[in-house]
Amino acid sequence: MKKRKLPFWCSCVVMGSGQLMYRQWIKGLLYLGCLALYLYYLFTSGITDIIGFFTLGTVEGDPWLGIQGDDSILMLLRGIMALLVTAGAVGLHILNIRDVAAMEDALAREKTLPGFREIMRRFVDRKFYVVALFLPIVGVLIFNVLPILFMTLIAFTNYGGDIVPPKLVDWIGFDNFRRIFQLSEVKSTFLRILGWNLLWAFTATFLSYFGGLLLALLLNKKCVRGKAFWRAFPIIAYAVPGFITLLGFKFMFSYGGPINHYITAAGGNAIGFLDIDAGWKARLIGLLVNTWISVPTSMLLATGMLSNMRADLYEAASLDGAGRWKQFTKLTLPFVIFSTTPTLITSFVGNFNNFGVFYFLRGGLYLDGYFLASDTDLLINWLYNLSIDNNYYGIGAAVSLIIFVITSIFSLYAYVNSSAFKKEDTYR
Amino acid sequence: MKTKKRRWTPRWKNVPEVAGTYVILIAVCFIFFFPVLWLVLASFSSSGAIYDFDGFFPAGYSLLTYQKLFTDTQMYDYPSWLRNTLFVSVFSCALSTLLVILTAYTMSRFRFRMRKPLMKTTLILSMFPSFMGMTAVYLIMINFNLINNLWSLILVYSAGAPMGYLVQKGYFDTISNTIYEAARIDGASNPQVFTRITLPISKPILVYTALTSFAWPWSDFILPNMLLKNRDLWTVAVGLTHLGETEFSRFAAGAIFIAVPIVILYFSLSRFLITGVSEGAVKE
Repeated sequence: MKKRKLPFWCSCVVMGSGQLMYRQWIKGLLYLGCLALYLYYLFTSGITDIIGFFTLGTVEGDPWLGIQGDDSILMLLRGIMALLVTAGAVGLHILNIRDVAAMEDALAREKTLPGFREIMRRFVDRKFYVVALFLPIVGVLIFNVLPILFMTLIAFTNYGGDIVPPKLVDWIGFDNFRRIFQLSEVKSTFLRILGWNLLWAFTATFLSYFGGLLLALLLNKKCVRGKAFWRAFPIIAYAVPGFITLLGFKFMFSYGGPINHYITAAGGNAIGFLDIDAGWKARLIGLLVNTWISVPTSMLLATGMLSNMRADLYEAASLDGAGRWKQFTKLTLPFVIFSTTPTLITSFVGNFNNFGVFYFLRGGLYLDGYFLASDTDLLINWLYNLSIDNNYYGIGAAVSLIIFVITSIFSLYAYVNSSAFKKEDTYR
Repeated sequence: MKTKKRRWTPRWKNVPEVAGTYVILIAVCFIFFFPVLWLVLASFSSSGAIYDFDGFFPAGYSLLTYQKLFTDTQMYDYPSWLRNTLFVSVFSCALSTLLVILTAYTMSRFRFRMRKPLMKTTLILSMFPSFMGMTAVYLIMINFNLINNLWSLILVYSAGAPMGYLVQKGYFDTISNTIYEAARIDGASNPQVFTRITLPISKPILVYTALTSFAWPWSDFILPNMLLKNRDLWTVAVGLTHLGETEFSRFAAGAIFIAVPIVILYFSLSRFLITGVSEGAVKE
């Protein structure tokens, strides 16, 4: 390490002081101001917030005695925020030390330091990525990272059920996970939903993917005239907002809906397609409706892919006497699957977490033998029932973590084993 | 397509195949179009409840439902739902587009130490169930006193938008670096490169981004349902889910009315749509 001068060590203790000693007034004052703000925050609420993060409240509120109790959940949230702010302050301090060091190095080379405006101009130019990413990162931190951190921590508390503020919430370690895997009712619900969820994700992805591919191939055939016209219909389906489609289909299969109208007109009894005891009928309808919604997207995707395919490959293949089926399995399919593996993975994850279909078709039904769920519910619907409709936040958060583990293991596995990852340059 | 005006010459052995192709095509298009047509017809129904329908077809037609939709606002205040939705969608669209394009361009064009860690982090974050953090967002909004406020929706939509930068990054990855290098040699600073060069050449992806980030709040249900407790702050998606079978044609009319702008947008921009969707599939 180089021998540093006094201002460097001053900045290590009080950020901004070294900059001031080098007559960098504005920069120094900005650093000092940040330090002052942070200290003010720390001593007015920061320290109590951090302590609150660990205790989650000690005084239970009691309206009868007029005791203003601690709100554990708010304390947890504010505790996380205080820790994040502290991390930010530490980061700023390190920046400040680096800045002074850089200044000393610059002074060793040149006589004077550039003014504040010049420094800012250079910074914006050379470190454009910092400026550009600042807002997006702050936004994602507050509205994505913070909530996920919060819910992850909630999974290790007993928050939910009867225990909501003003009652005090406590850290309970892995008890929520233990309940999911051991408590008979919750466990059987979890396993049954998980089985259906996996089946659903595979079938739904398969149907929409190959449906879209076949449709694109069909539209790509040479004999089809007016391609734009034919393509317009799936695009209409694609453009109609999803919740409208889903509610529309719900009406279509309802008791008063057209399908039951024809069944009763033909002398049959109205069928409760989406009733509580509908079982496989409802699952099948969900699958078909989902295919209706997602085929257009994958058709657009496959169309884009097919237009990138080299026509000479096909010509060569047909010269070699390959039939059309052979061309499809040996040329089209490998190419399309190769270039769409990442989308295939995202679409599998999307289907695994497909909240809308069963929420809109038959949300909020609770079947006997299930803990706050029905036989069409996916894990994500169960999560919604648990945490948002019934306040079982702790268990809900634990379920989210399990979903996270499943989807990330699957995606990682699929990605590492995919040809797109193994043989990157096959089609270059 | 117009450049290849090669006439397709029919041969007898192809006839069954061509006929089969068209039969399948017609069937597929019927499947896709029929539910939409059904809703359109229902919105022109003269009676409101689904029970009065003659199967798929209304018993009589009139424009009354549309008139009711905008005048009979006692129970269901559709005009105000529409105003709220439009407000939220326009502002989130503008903010999200800016943030996403900035993120994608930076991630594609620059190489810096935190780049790979950031990309991996976003990948991991996107594996969490989408509304896992909803409860937390709700609590944060309460903490900042932003519940029952349309701006809180805009904030959440735009703040989360940069997470979906991969499609746009894929587009920027296809633009060769030489064009940027040339500008740099001519003395342009990085902000200037972004505003003078990147933005003009990225029109297709800009349009795609704007379209998708407009359509998302336009039709989202979960977030507004959670953050807007006041009836007069409801968005269309929240309002429409509260309409039952007796208000079926009102539902249809309301749905058609907000679906039409989106459909028109998608059609007039479908050129960009294919670019966008297929760029997203290109691996990193």
